[in-house]
Amino acid sequence: MMSEHTLMEVSKLAPGMALPELKKRITQEDINRYAEVSRDFNPIHIDEDFARKTPLGGTIAHGMLVLAYVSQMMTMAFGKDWLTGGKLSVRFKAPARPGDIVNINGKVVKVEKSGEQSIVGCELLCSNQNGDAIIIGETEVRVKQ
Amino acid sequence: MSEQKVDYSKLDVGHEFPQTTFNLDSSLVADYISVVGETSPLYRDSRLVPPMAMAAFAMAALSKGLSLPSGAIHVSQEMEFLSTVSTSDAITSHARVSRKQKRSIFQILTIDFSAFNQDNQKVMTGSTEFILPAASAGSGR
Repeated sequence: MMSEHTLMEVSKLAPGMALPELKKRITQEDINRYAEVSRDFNPIHIDEDFARKTPLGGTIAHGMLVLAYVSQMMTMAFGKDWLTGGKLSVRFKAPARPGDIVNINGKVVKVEKSGEQSIVGCELLCSNQNGDAIIIGETEVRVKQ
Repeated sequence: MSEQKVDYSKLDVGHEFPQTTFNLDSSLVADYISVVGETSPLYRDSRLVPPMAMAAFAMAALSKGLSLPSGAIHVSQEMEFLSTVSTSDAITSHARVSRKQKRSIFQILTIDFSAFNQDNQKVMTGSTEFILPAASAGSGR
């Protein structure tokens, strides 16, 4: 198990390598606090009575909250390079709900060296405790050698 | 920026939302870091701001000018971070409708956005896609 803050060694990056895994337990309190900080007060996130009457059957986490966890994983793996040359493309497949444990996983699929830097492409999967995909997608980072 | 919200049904491809400028207030950023449980040492004793925080604040600014039905679902997201941003930076975000497509009982709405710092350096670009059901029942993401 990789230490939470050990950056991946650029020279050793290769397709198939796993990024440091992150697990997050979603609580309604987290969702309420995220609504406050992001100013996104859509009732589907914070109003349990409202949400219960919708097809979703209950409140769900903001997609951007789960993406914050993805960004955290990418920062753990690539540090400041993620902030200056990070890219992501994702689809939200299912909602994350209060009580869910979200596993954020990534895997290197491409390493292209180009002069002083490498382009590292990764597959991304966020899934819940039942193995259901919540977010799928790709990330890419320009990393300095 | 005007607080007047544009109803999504009145949006056409090419519609540009009023640009919005917001400050990356240090206490707001600290709250964000606490809420999402960000533990990277990069943000400890530094003024660096998590890029997804900037994206969330930019989307919040956009939402002030856009009225979506309660059945709107956030279905996809693209982002590219081009430069670090720091607390006290003033970020100006631009957004425009790049796609609006009707499909049977729902519509797809795609909004492209970009953000610049106070030196007019582009720090982020992205694209957000929503599905808007014809019968709004309350959703989100």
